[in-house]
Amino acid sequence: MAVVPEHSTEAVAGGNSPPASPVGQPPPDAPNLGRTVRVVGTVIPVHTSQLPHPKNQRGELGKALFNWYHNTVSKDPLTRVSAPNHFADRRHFLTAVLGQAPKGEVNPTRQPVPDPAAMTRHIKRVGRYMGADIVRIARAHPAFMYAGNRYAQDIQTNDAYEDLSPEELCRRFPYVIVATTAWDYDKIQAHRHHIGDAAYHVSQMRANVILKNLEGYVRELGYTAIRGAVNPQGAGLAAGVGELGRNGMVISERYGARIHMPDPIMTDLPPLPDAPIDIGVEEFCKVCRKCAITCPTNSITFDDKVVHNGIQKYKIKWETCYRLRPFVSDHWGSCLTCVTVCPYTKPNVWWRTLAVRALSACPIPARPPLVRALKWIDDRFWGVVPQKRVRWMGYDSGIKPGEKACTVAGCTAAHAEAGQSVKVEGNVGYYAPLKENTNRFVKREAH
Amino acid sequence: MALRLGPLTLPWPRADDRDDPYWDFFIHTPPRDPANSVTQIIRRAPEGAINPARADIHTPEITASHIKELARFLGADLVGVARLDAPDAADGEAYPFAVVSVVRAEHDPRAAAGLGGQVPVQNALYVTFVLSAYIRELGYRATAAPHPDAERLAAAAGLGTLDAAGRLVTTQYGPRVYVADVIRTDLPLAADG
Repeated sequence: MAVVPEHSTEAVAGGNSPPASPVGQPPPDAPNLGRTVRVVGTVIPVHTSQLPHPKNQRGELGKALFNWYHNTVSKDPLTRVSAPNHFADRRHFLTAVLGQAPKGEVNPTRQPVPDPAAMTRHIKRVGRYMGADIVRIARAHPAFMYAGNRYAQDIQTNDAYEDLSPEELCRRFPYVIVATTAWDYDKIQAHRHHIGDAAYHVSQMRANVILKNLEGYVRELGYTAIRGAVNPQGAGLAAGVGELGRNGMVISERYGARIHMPDPIMTDLPPLPDAPIDIGVEEFCKVCRKCAITCPTNSITFDDKVVHNGIQKYKIKWETCYRLRPFVSDHWGSCLTCVTVCPYTKPNVWWRTLAVRALSACPIPARPPLVRALKWIDDRFWGVVPQKRVRWMGYDSGIKPGEKACTVAGCTAAHAEAGQSVKVEGNVGYYAPLKENTNRFVKREAH
Repeated sequence: MALRLGPLTLPWPRADDRDDPYWDFFIHTPPRDPANSVTQIIRRAPEGAINPARADIHTPEITASHIKELARFLGADLVGVARLDAPDAADGEAYPFAVVSVVRAEHDPRAAAGLGGQVPVQNALYVTFVLSAYIRELGYRATAAPHPDAERLAAAAGLGTLDAAGRLVTTQYGPRVYVADVIRTDLPLAADG
């Protein structure tokens, strides 16, 4: 595979270019991130001030995005209680309530851990008991640590260890607990819609509650828990939550890309770390490209992997993905199309398990034909772009975004704004022809 | 943990769960610092403001079904609407309806004080916090608080019956349930039961 070195300083601490390193020779202590992402050079920890949201908070991405981030109250009541930054009243957003609460103390009587395997089983069981769908543990590595202060959206993450370097933090707190929640499959079929937003935002809030409680429990066991120090995707890959897809999402074994993986917990609690998994994403993403074809802003590459900051991976253009948001915020909060179209994103049922198991059991040279067959089945049965009409609560993805209409059967209420119910035929959702519009200002790179 | 075969769930303990020296600590030992417990944080959080712009709502029956759909999506196992009597007014204004949610509880949270024993309370608070905030964002009054009569209201909402000790017993989960904080609201709903 051709590897194109990409020189970029946007994600590099202090603006210093990383020292040139020969591609293909991983440094001796490189973390194992699975087959989809390889550390091939020196990785400089990304400074938290260079992440997308902090850049936007300072207004570096332009007025439209700045205003969208700071001054937009959502028109949708469910978004106002579940999405970061678009609430009418901050007290209605649970993640902010949890984030602003003072942190608890570490229990001075430490639970002894004579058998790390028992503690591993216990902490995973506790995570699942609290409601997490996948709980796995990574060994911390500076390659997926943030530089600078702590980072987590809407969460106060101050702690006593902020002066320590990423290397020192990894020495003192060598484990990362990654807990994820899955989005509701039926609701994300209405991608680019408030119904899909609900699936996304509710699982995000839920994951924040679970992680906050798990963090408290680690302290009650007598160990330190640090939030906001680790990049969730890097830790998720090292822990084997999933593999990184072309769409820049971690694709898990049971749920595909529809998982939420907020800020993991860095700790000195000694469990046994997990290893990365192989579910065939490497082969699938070479062939499939459904996400790249359907991305409304052409932010997903059709090309091969690139080397960015010493890491070889598919690199999405986050800035064009981000720039769409202020223009569509009346109709949806999060696009989610790349997750919905991903063939791995399916209900967690036996035929899905069968397909993923078959793919991961298949020897690597024999996988491409199997991938082509699975891709054909996916296109045939779920469509190249899933356009299912979803009705949930009063929402209906069958009507045009922005149109106010009540399509609830049997509703006799006099709607002030919506007028009478309009009739929507068939079971096909309405999706705005966004791609045609965004093609004008987000050009796909010429091959 | 149990083995799940579609609708059939067998109580088959996982090998992991049989040999767990820390489980009793998780379920029964109360947190040394209450700030480590999410339930404490959510209970202490102040209530937000009612949105001055009232949302366009459907007929009471449909609104009630939407509220129940949202509660179930947020994790309530059973949810019902009960009509409140007029004297049930806390601040001089009567709330006509109570939304009662019930979550499954493997251990009774009143007896199990550990973070694990309180997980049903955490799940229930997640539902009631977001649901009451949602009703306030619709422009109607809603307040979620522990209610002395929660179990009776749950029975009145048709979620189960009360046993001799006044505890809720449900058809689906038996007595192993926890009744969440009651959301009192003036959103036009249709009462069950």
